[in-house]
Amino acid sequence: MLNNLEKLISMMLRLLILVFLLGFMQNAMAQEDDSDEEWPDIVLRDDGKCTKCHDESSGNPVLFIGKTKHGTVADGRTPTCTSCHGESDEHMDGDQAIPPKPSRTFGKNPRTSILDRNQVCLNCHQGGKRMHWIGSAHANRDTVCTACHEIHTVLDKVRDKNTQSNVCFTCHKEQRAQINRPSRHPIREGKVVCSDCHNPHGSAGPSMTVRDSVNETCLTCHMEKRGPFIYNHPPVQENCAICHNPHGTTAPNLLKVRAPFLCQECHEPNAHQGSLGTITGAYARNTIARGCMNCHTNIHGSNNPENVRNDRLFQR
Amino acid sequence: MKTHILSQAKIGAVLLIMANSVWAEQDYSIQELTKPQSTINFGAGFLFNDNARFGQYSGLRDEGFYGIFNVNVLRRNDDTGTWLRIMGRNLGYQNRDIRLEHSRQGNWGYFFEFNQTPRFEPFTAITAVKGIGSSHLQVPTTPTTGDPLRLKTEREIISLGAHKFLPGNFELQLHFRNEEKDGARIFGRGNRLGPPGPTAVGGYEFIPEPINFTTRIFGATLNYNGKDLQLSGGYYGTLFENKNTALTTTGGSSVGGIFAPSLFTPIALPPDNQAHQAFLSGGYSFNPYTRGTFKAAYTIASQTDGFFPTQLTAPGTPSNLHGKVDTSLVQAAVTSRPLSKLTLLANFRYEDRDDKTPVFLYNPNAFNVDLNGNRWNGFNTPRSFTTFTNKFEASYALPMNLRLIGGIDYEHWDRTGTPQTTSHRNHTDELSGRVELRRSLAEALTGTISYIHSDRSGSHFLTNVKATGDPFFNLIAPINLADRNRDKVRLLLNWEPLEPLSVQVAVDQSWDNFDGDRNNSGLGIHKGIARNYSLDAVYTFSEDLQANAWFSRNETQIDQASRTPEPRVPWSVKLENLGTSFGVGMNGRPHEKLEIGTNLTYSDITDKFKQSITEVACCPGNTPVPDINFKQGRWNLFARYALQKNLGLRLDYILDYFKTNEWTWNRWTYTDGTQLTQDTNQLVNFLGLSAYYSWQ
Repeated sequence: MLNNLEKLISMMLRLLILVFLLGFMQNAMAQEDDSDEEWPDIVLRDDGKCTKCHDESSGNPVLFIGKTKHGTVADGRTPTCTSCHGESDEHMDGDQAIPPKPSRTFGKNPRTSILDRNQVCLNCHQGGKRMHWIGSAHANRDTVCTACHEIHTVLDKVRDKNTQSNVCFTCHKEQRAQINRPSRHPIREGKVVCSDCHNPHGSAGPSMTVRDSVNETCLTCHMEKRGPFIYNHPPVQENCAICHNPHGTTAPNLLKVRAPFLCQECHEPNAHQGSLGTITGAYARNTIARGCMNCHTNIHGSNNPENVRNDRLFQR
Repeated sequence: MKTHILSQAKIGAVLLIMANSVWAEQDYSIQELTKPQSTINFGAGFLFNDNARFGQYSGLRDEGFYGIFNVNVLRRNDDTGTWLRIMGRNLGYQNRDIRLEHSRQGNWGYFFEFNQTPRFEPFTAITAVKGIGSSHLQVPTTPTTGDPLRLKTEREIISLGAHKFLPGNFELQLHFRNEEKDGARIFGRGNRLGPPGPTAVGGYEFIPEPINFTTRIFGATLNYNGKDLQLSGGYYGTLFENKNTALTTTGGSSVGGIFAPSLFTPIALPPDNQAHQAFLSGGYSFNPYTRGTFKAAYTIASQTDGFFPTQLTAPGTPSNLHGKVDTSLVQAAVTSRPLSKLTLLANFRYEDRDDKTPVFLYNPNAFNVDLNGNRWNGFNTPRSFTTFTNKFEASYALPMNLRLIGGIDYEHWDRTGTPQTTSHRNHTDELSGRVELRRSLAEALTGTISYIHSDRSGSHFLTNVKATGDPFFNLIAPINLADRNRDKVRLLLNWEPLEPLSVQVAVDQSWDNFDGDRNNSGLGIHKGIARNYSLDAVYTFSEDLQANAWFSRNETQIDQASRTPEPRVPWSVKLENLGTSFGVGMNGRPHEKLEIGTNLTYSDITDKFKQSITEVACCPGNTPVPDINFKQGRWNLFARYALQKNLGLRLDYILDYFKTNEWTWNRWTYTDGTQLTQDTNQLVNFLGLSAYYSWQ
């Protein structure tokens, strides 16, 4: 009797083990299952049909999107996989070892047109600061949203101050060199970033400036230059970029060229205005130290009401 | 047998635990992959060298220990979609950023942000001037040896914002930013007109400008986001306040009689000003192939800061400028695809800056004839301008995934104003034509080649006149007004010759021909050339090892001419800026617990000043302007070693190199004795060791 009991227990234990093993194996094998059964959603709504094949170990890892705003399903506006990649019936139904690509692809060598790819994003992101995308320089030059943005990762490099400029430098090579010049904005330190001045999604300003003009953009940080002053220096009001290159220069204060050469591009050679560049002699005062600004110190404009003749010359 | 049963029971229990742990691990793994993660990074770094350039904007200037502290707390309530983010970056440095965000995605949100940005002047002043940083300075009357002083400014910004989605696809956004900028920057006063005559070296004094600015930006925007129609309208306001109206001095040099530097007090400082803008922008998709956008804005800017008290104002001048500038902006664009292969774009922009500042006679003395025989006027100088910018572009699809693009741009400027110390013209017009061939969608080779030509011309130049009424020199057309022809060629190629290798080539070159002279003087700006070449390559050895390298060569050249003082000898100069830069980088994971990355960048930049002559009778003792060379390099290395899955160590090493022969301040001593110096060869080592921990 005891032996039978032992046998029964032994058998039941083996069965239990077998059941667990089978259960475990089924669980393990489930990753490879290609049955038509509905799969539970893991991240996005209705993503089961995608995540049954695509996890982080697949060639196209997808699950990190769960960490992002797009993966916040409590917000009913967030997309499903197929909102962006299309219904992709052939991709899912195919029984080939390498299935056809989804209806819309965004990665390397995509077959989806640039307009169609961007339209997927614009379907939700067309308002606000992206209002002027259509017709912008980036749109006209076939820039695709995913050239700059990474959708499936929580760290979208172009939206991080420390890494944004490197994304922009993928195309803007001249600026990559300029930010290493001795007179520069703190771009390398991530304290000023490209999007502080430019709206890459388009704007009503020239060169996609965030404000309506170059000057209005510069004034967001350098508002002391706005004036108007009693005595205005005309190029200051017209366009800061006549004298300055904001991306970096070798001349001090982001000036395109040193004094006196910069000033001589506009000023009549009345007398001292036409002096040679020299680092010695009487006219060194126009070249070294602050150059012409050694005297014309209020070069952006003077609000001095005193009736001394040199006020107009920005000397005080 | 009992042992056997127990043994089997143990195996069963173990398997049960294993199975449970596998399930738990799967759940954990999915959670790990899909739930937001928080990280904290703390430690210390040691800066091995004092420096002026490396720490210019970070505060890492003095040898010693610095704290490393970064935090990013990111939480999400999955049931409600409520996010909480607390981000702190560079908390141990002087350029720290702190941001707090709390939002229910798709419903409401608000944020608070604090940013601190120092700027250390890379030159050290040796000065005896006292009171620096205040609006009243004591300046030595004779050259005096002083103490080292490092000028600095610092911006501290507090930003607040909130948004709320409203029924009917509306969203309300509010924002406010307050920036305090404090410190002092290089500034000075001087006059060449000391006795015995105009060729004398005048007096120049070091009087740093006190910076005590408050800048506020605020606004409200109401957005409407419909399927076809999007609108964004609201208010944008800016206020600038300078705590100091004028810079006054005591002391200073009395050499120069009525032109002595000591008499150049008070010196006006930037006045308070403000602007208020109402705007409406929008976009409408007429159909899937046609969309229009627009922006209309009206801005009222004013400057009514009270003038500083003085005895030397002209009769009838007001108590402040009553400055008022109204700016109207209208911009509209339409993009359409009338045929599947044809895309058209038209863009129109109109901006009218109307300076309504009343004109008063501030300076009757200006009517006196000056040393050069000129007479000016003492009225304030409001300037208005209007710009029209139009763009038209057509793009047509060709076989082989090519597109042919043609475009015309037109820009027209209307300016008010009269010629004074420079020439002036009321209108300029610039017409540009562009043709481009582009291949954007291909597996191995994509790229663009384009050619742009533009012509700028304008109305006749107004005549500058002397005190006698006779024409003044009228020799130079200012660079922004001069007639100009520009040709530009651009080439960009992206090539993937092998699966793991991508190569990018970018070339652009432009030629500017200016008609910078007037009356056939041969003076002014003549020519400008810019060349930029770059080569980039990225190689992916494996998923765990990638490398990149790049090289850039950038050259600009400007040819211009001027004329010396009496005996008025024409001279020309060719200004060249030649830069060579390269970078190499690598990121890898040689071991599952170890991640390393390194990046090296180097730039060598030279300014050349090729003057046609270096000596004329008027001005003996000249020394040609020497070339200036800058060498700047940086090597970054980091390594992360995981002690556990969510805990590890991070090592950072930075080697920064700066070398120059720049002479800007080398030979300059202010009349008060101040000199500015810099270390021309700076090599900086920074080593940081920190721990990181992440959690969910």
